[in-house]
Amino acid sequence: MKNAVYLLSIVVVILGLYAFDAKREQHALERAVHAHYTNELANASEKLSLLHTTIAQSMLFQDEKALHNELDTIWRVSNDMRNSISRLPLHQDVANEWMRYLGRISEEAKNADSLKDANKWREKMTVVNGNLHALTEEWEVATANYFQQDGDFSKWSKVTNVETANSPFATMSVNLKSFNETDFPLTASESDYQKKRELKNLMDEPISKTEAIEKFKMYFPKIDDATITVTKSHDDAAYPFYHVQFVRGSRIGYADITEKGGHILSFLLERPISKDVLSHEEILESAQKFMKKAGFEDTEVTEARENHEAWHFVFTRKVDDALVYPDSVHVKVAKDNGEILGINAMEYIQKETINKQSENPIDWKQFFGEGVIIEDEKKIYTENDRYDLRLCYEVIARLPNNLYDTFRVVVDAENHEVVQIDALS
Amino acid sequence: MKKIIISILMCSLLFVQPHVSDAFSAQVVQRGAYGDDVIELQARLQYLGFYNGRIDGKFGYGTYWALREFQQSYGLDVDGIAGKATKEMLVNNSEYNENFVKNQIAKGNRFTHYGGIPLEQQVQSGTGNATASGNANTTGNPSSSSMQLPANYSERDIQLLANAVYGEARGEPYEGQVAVAAVILNRLESPDFPNTISEIIFQPRAFTAVADGQIWLTPNPRAKEAALDAINGWDPSENALYYFNPKTATSEWIWTRPQIKQIGEHIFCY
Repeated sequence: MKNAVYLLSIVVVILGLYAFDAKREQHALERAVHAHYTNELANASEKLSLLHTTIAQSMLFQDEKALHNELDTIWRVSNDMRNSISRLPLHQDVANEWMRYLGRISEEAKNADSLKDANKWREKMTVVNGNLHALTEEWEVATANYFQQDGDFSKWSKVTNVETANSPFATMSVNLKSFNETDFPLTASESDYQKKRELKNLMDEPISKTEAIEKFKMYFPKIDDATITVTKSHDDAAYPFYHVQFVRGSRIGYADITEKGGHILSFLLERPISKDVLSHEEILESAQKFMKKAGFEDTEVTEARENHEAWHFVFTRKVDDALVYPDSVHVKVAKDNGEILGINAMEYIQKETINKQSENPIDWKQFFGEGVIIEDEKKIYTENDRYDLRLCYEVIARLPNNLYDTFRVVVDAENHEVVQIDALS
Repeated sequence: MKKIIISILMCSLLFVQPHVSDAFSAQVVQRGAYGDDVIELQARLQYLGFYNGRIDGKFGYGTYWALREFQQSYGLDVDGIAGKATKEMLVNNSEYNENFVKNQIAKGNRFTHYGGIPLEQQVQSGTGNATASGNANTTGNPSSSSMQLPANYSERDIQLLANAVYGEARGEPYEGQVAVAAVILNRLESPDFPNTISEIIFQPRAFTAVADGQIWLTPNPRAKEAALDAINGWDPSENALYYFNPKTATSEWIWTRPQIKQIGEHIFCY
């Protein structure tokens, strides 16, 4: 009995020491997280104040250089604050609205700097400045408690876990939502882009569930005897579609088919892949055959990448002599037998409207630095950062060094604005 | 007798294979290709001093330009494609220490394969991640984790995505795993979210797997494949920005989001 009590006492002491150590570690971690969040909160508050002041200052100037300095600061500070917001444990809703608002201010500053139109900037920022003033005050009220607390992390986490409506950020959340809509309404190009993404331009007649299954079997005759389950997209979906799930032996997958017209949006098939490997030509031929059969005949291969089990190809629509990059179809083909494992035709279905645009040829020797080697030049259509579809020249250029640094440079064919640069590995 | 000799000669001709190379497969190797043939191509080009990049089995622009330079120097058709004639010329003019190269890749070492320099002097040991690239896989590819990705994506991106997919959705169907990766990529395009994959995944309160530490589990090949498909453009979520498990979700707010579809246990929404 005495021994048992003795042993029990030792166990209790060990458990006590373990609990004490664990608690101490937990406190240390909580303090570190608390310090990190407080720091980010203080940063965000300082940046908000600086952003508000700089926007007000920017409205003083008509002079191009003076305005440029202010716009540059606005662009930088709004991005910094956006980063600080993303690192805070705010409710997703509040964080999203803040990031959108700050992102739009940053974009506006960038555009104003390139357009050099002080009047337009002032006109837009008069409203934003007033709203930012209101938001700054609300932010101070909402975050005051965080600085006044006594270092008790549980109070912090309690505040961060409540729904927005019950949190100190409730008013701010409502205001941010409203200011996002009033201060930065969608431009015509953005609105068109949104409509395109939501397949608003698709005018075909709706098909039934049975017709969707028939379409599926038509696209993929090799698995037409699969066990199929079809569900319809939820009512809130931007575009209605049929979600076809199938199982055939070890083959499991899905296909999404639009209700309007029965177009295939995407398809993926998962199955074990054997060690056999077909040649690149055979695999490409399989992809090309499928593309022809599925009605994507106006496309050509623009990208090919081999990986462990499959090749990924990108086929792009060609109009006259230009490739329309936003209208591409992605195809995944098994390396062992050339079976189509995946199709992604979402972008192709969105189909771009191509407007006439003039061209001014570029002398690449003048455009690029000395020694830059140009491998290829193509005409393409692509979207610029304002969501306008533009006819561009796509050039593959490399630096004259022994590492062969290679870049894809996209230049607007009319105004010679550099639309995109990608480093190619 | 004459007929017998002719027959023997004819038969022996059937067994004579045109000498292409000692190790290259019969495949034509070109930009976009991946695997052992590309490793050999890069190693041989490096042996001759044409290729100065990493020997990683990925036929990208670095390999392409090096091959063209080689073809130009050796009087071959300059097309950047390693066909029969090019491979033969390479084999006849260079050496390839397959064991050395494969071993270094397996160990994750940084190394080169230049001719005229002792191989032991061309290794910087301990510079790589042996577990990430060392599992010689069944398809004979250079690395189990290394993948060819579209421009603007890195190996780090796919690793993070695969971790997120495995931590969040390893019990889900493949479609559901690709959809989780696609949601992260959709956030990348949305003005409401941070600007990098890492910031999106580690945004406070964004993903349960980050909060409960499951993000740090080692992803399986299926999760990596799902991440790769999402990076290549597949989006079974149909443009979703959020998803939740209706059986476990505690947020009232998430139920207010417009819903798109359900895959496995997850409802995907805007």
